[in-house]
Amino acid sequence: MDYLANKYLRFRKTPSTACTGCGLGINHKAVLQAVYELGLEVEDVVWGTSIGCAGRQTFGMWKGDGFAGTHGRVYAIARGLRLALPPEKKIILTVGDGDAFGIGLLHLIHAARSNADLTVVVNDNLGYMSTGGQYGWTTPLGTRTDSSPYGMYEQNLVREGMDVLGVLQHAGATFLARHVSMDGSRATGSIKKAIQNKGLSLVHMIYPCPTNFGSRELGTRDALSIYNWIRERSAPLEKAGEDTLWATGVYHDASNSRPEFSEDILKNVEKIRRAAAV
Amino acid sequence: MKRYLETGNFAITEGAILAGCRFFAGYPITPATELAEAMSLRLPQEGGIFIQGEDECAAMHLCIGAALGGYKAMTATSGPGYILYADPYGWAIGCEIPLVVVNSGRVGPVSGITGAPGQGEFYLTRYPTQGGNFETIVLAPNSAQETMYMTVKAFYLAERFRTPVTILADQLITDGFEDISVPENEGEMKEMGFEVYPRRVNNGPVFYPPTDEIDIPPVVLGKNTGALCSDWTPTEEGYDIEEVEAHHKHAYRLIYKVRNHRDLVEDLYEKTHMDDDPDLVVVSFGTPSRVVNTAVKKARAEGLNVGALRLRHIWPFPDELFSTPRKYLCVELNWDGQLVREVQRAAPKDAEVHFTGICGDLPSIADLLETFTKILQGKALERQGWKMEAW
Repeated sequence: MDYLANKYLRFRKTPSTACTGCGLGINHKAVLQAVYELGLEVEDVVWGTSIGCAGRQTFGMWKGDGFAGTHGRVYAIARGLRLALPPEKKIILTVGDGDAFGIGLLHLIHAARSNADLTVVVNDNLGYMSTGGQYGWTTPLGTRTDSSPYGMYEQNLVREGMDVLGVLQHAGATFLARHVSMDGSRATGSIKKAIQNKGLSLVHMIYPCPTNFGSRELGTRDALSIYNWIRERSAPLEKAGEDTLWATGVYHDASNSRPEFSEDILKNVEKIRRAAAV
Repeated sequence: MKRYLETGNFAITEGAILAGCRFFAGYPITPATELAEAMSLRLPQEGGIFIQGEDECAAMHLCIGAALGGYKAMTATSGPGYILYADPYGWAIGCEIPLVVVNSGRVGPVSGITGAPGQGEFYLTRYPTQGGNFETIVLAPNSAQETMYMTVKAFYLAERFRTPVTILADQLITDGFEDISVPENEGEMKEMGFEVYPRRVNNGPVFYPPTDEIDIPPVVLGKNTGALCSDWTPTEEGYDIEEVEAHHKHAYRLIYKVRNHRDLVEDLYEKTHMDDDPDLVVVSFGTPSRVVNTAVKKARAEGLNVGALRLRHIWPFPDELFSTPRKYLCVELNWDGQLVREVQRAAPKDAEVHFTGICGDLPSIADLLETFTKILQGKALERQGWKMEAW
């Protein structure tokens, strides 16, 4: 990651304060690799983050301009910012699952509805791990966390027919993909497509948390155990079986098929302004 | 100069446009809806953007995002929406983002009476978010014309102090029709006391100086200055940190950049019959002050030694106006008395501080005259059932 770190990351913020064995760095690298392969420079991107593990660990690492929003609100901030920035400027948001699919879901749905040109990478460690390890909205059924000591029995947003990616697709998102940290270049490929889409793109990235999720569900903080546990439950979309929790790949690609939020609004404003000036 | 018979909402809209506001996001709520509607009509004509948020929280966050991108932005709501601004308000205070927030007060708590004026958010405008460790700036107009002036002033103060500024109006001001003059050029603006401060860009890397300094350019993203801002306690460069010393520096700045430069706000008082050391000073803000002024003038004509003090800005609180040990009466558009607590705190121990309040309607001049007389005669304010509670 040296060449990526040298090019894009602040020395002041590296190495991160993530726990030993945390998979977030792999996700972060996949995003940077995608940015690099697209030939983007530091000045081409404004980087937004949120709260929790994903927010704290990615805030301020990007050498360029960046911000961290409050709980779940980063999509509303980013929509406002989108309207103010030139269209060629990319906004990349690295957020957590609680932020995106819990407290921020309404704002995310409206970002999808309006097709705002944002790339949202949801780093999902299967619950609220920053606050000690409570269940979230994508925590697999039956798994133990600090707030599901008998095993998660609440309905969640990754079940068949209730997939949050389906919700976002119906809300109007124009690019949706899902990966696990270990997907390597496949994940990078999806993130590249996400960044290239002029509209709301979201890549859901499952990543291992040995410290909290691993220790509660598997009884060990051994990083390899939770990496293997996730790997065994994931498969590419075309190979997904009944036991597959996370089918990986591109779920929905309607890139550049709908008007983009800010361009659309600015076009209309310009039309009204001209009419008023006549 | 153009004259209109229009509402306070119209005056705020035109004032905001004169101040350079080109972004408004809101969420429909009575009685602030008309302001959003006026903005949706006027802003695009000026090349500005109107957005309806998915909720109040989103509306203010949209404004914050736009302000971070370089826009002068404004939002407006009423009490039940203002409380939903608590989350973004804190972010804007902490990240020192200039913004103007209008609160058109109605009767509460919660939905209360949607179409009646109230002043139940006196304290909420002082503490609009959690955590404390900040000072706020709140302006309180009492007419449509003044609302336009104060909107321009609010943008001016927001830019210079790098903070959100609240305009605490009430439904009578925002919805009431009055004679309004709108300046048409810079000369007329100057004549009317309208001063516009430009938007600037913080070129980094320093996010904030740990001093009370004002006129620091705010963070603008997208200029590749390496600017950072977040919801966490920042270092002076904008990095997140969990150290009390860093927090102390940041809090010092958020509190004292406002308190130590109050002279920029403090032209905003109105005194009526205050020159001859009146025995009773009637204190108010917003629309009740109009009735109070009439009542005080009438009382003078009847020989009562009464004066009136109208607060045109309520935060930071003008403690010094209450340094004389005499009788004070606070007249508010609420039943519980909020301004009165602050006057009691600021006044000397041997001062007498009274309260009379009515919610949803203005007090009558007759009732006020009766109250003045009783206080001056040293009689206790009688409890009249739910109508008037002695505080």
